[in-house]
Amino acid sequence: MKRIVSEEVALTNINGKTYAMTAITPMKPWKTPILKIFFFFLALIKPLQARLVGLSFIHFARWVVIKRHAFPRLADSQPEENLSYDYLLFFSNFNGTWNQYIDAFADVLADGLNLVWRWSEKFPMSRPVTAFKRYISLVQFDTDYYYTAYPRATTNDVKAAHRVCAAVEDLGRNCNGMSPAEFSAAYLHFLMKVQKDLGSTGVGPVGT
Amino acid sequence: MANVSGSVYGLTILSPIIDDPNADISHDGAIRQYLANLPNGHTSPFAKVSSTHICRLVVMDDVIYVGTPANEEHLNSKYLVFESNFDGELEPYLARMANEIPEVVESVWGHCVGYPGLRDVSAFVAYMKKCQITTTFYFADVNDHTVQSTLRALKVQASVADFIGKHQGESPAEIQAAFRAFYERVSNMSEQEPGHHDPQGHQSIKLNRSIAAQHG
Repeated sequence: MKRIVSEEVALTNINGKTYAMTAITPMKPWKTPILKIFFFFLALIKPLQARLVGLSFIHFARWVVIKRHAFPRLADSQPEENLSYDYLLFFSNFNGTWNQYIDAFADVLADGLNLVWRWSEKFPMSRPVTAFKRYISLVQFDTDYYYTAYPRATTNDVKAAHRVCAAVEDLGRNCNGMSPAEFSAAYLHFLMKVQKDLGSTGVGPVGT
Repeated sequence: MANVSGSVYGLTILSPIIDDPNADISHDGAIRQYLANLPNGHTSPFAKVSSTHICRLVVMDDVIYVGTPANEEHLNSKYLVFESNFDGELEPYLARMANEIPEVVESVWGHCVGYPGLRDVSAFVAYMKKCQITTTFYFADVNDHTVQSTLRALKVQASVADFIGKHQGESPAEIQAAFRAFYERVSNMSEQEPGHHDPQGHQSIKLNRSIAAQHG
């Protein structure tokens, strides 16, 4: 029997067109400063982020290093952690399916991914992608609750919507003083500007 | 600042969950149970904290063992992970959570070690900050627009598609008059409800060739 799922009920890891990935990997503590230096330069030198930006299907992503003694301890009754590894947490909010994401990541950002995760234990490198996928499956855990303010919009939809808004604003502010002929030319220019940004929004494709 | 990209703040919270072997339902189980029944979409409580772009709650049972030759080790506590991407500053955001969705905060963080309750909002804010882990690297693809401006832009985008489709083939003077009225409407347009799945989806339109003929 076909199962009908209400769209108001978010599935595990998925809400509308957005997927929540959460992963944690162990790192030997002496490697942590190396990774932090890499992230420092990645944040500092924006052109290094060009390929990440170019992927254009990640709303928000972050890497968080937790030192082995830095897990929050809020009371004496809470047992202290006794860990030998630091841990790297990765959170991504992306559009598309898990497989598409990993494939695209490994294809476009292979070197960058290797620079981030090669310091984690047993990371197989991002190519071949089959071993990489097996590793991500192992270190990923599921989301218990996932909310997005714009579930039916991808990050490209969001950027397109803001471009359309700016174009409307531009034409709207200037159209009053135009003759019909001038408006006609300006409107055609407006159409050419926004036509690529009027793609359908709505329900995302179903996949894994 | 590593937690911030443009005008968006990336918050990562790890709150240790109470471990009580005598409890009828374990505290991590109770959190999971509660979250499983929490509404989503526009009725999500997080829609009330309207500066939230995207957030997630995850119960982290343990760290993950990746196999030999790595050491196998385990956490002594379970942790509630709260990841949020929101507009503005941290403290006002946490205070908004306390004020706008107190039932959620109580029902979730009430199972965590050291949670001070909500009688004193500043104590809650201080507690959450103690649980915060600084982001090492944060990426936000769109980091210069608020949730509200994005929701409004999506609504405007859908209206523009409708407008163009509706006025195809009209004379320039007619379209100009219609566009003036449209711009007036759009200028006063409010944003859609956050979290909504349904109303603002729109279909792409096929432009009529006569547009080019008339305007070109």
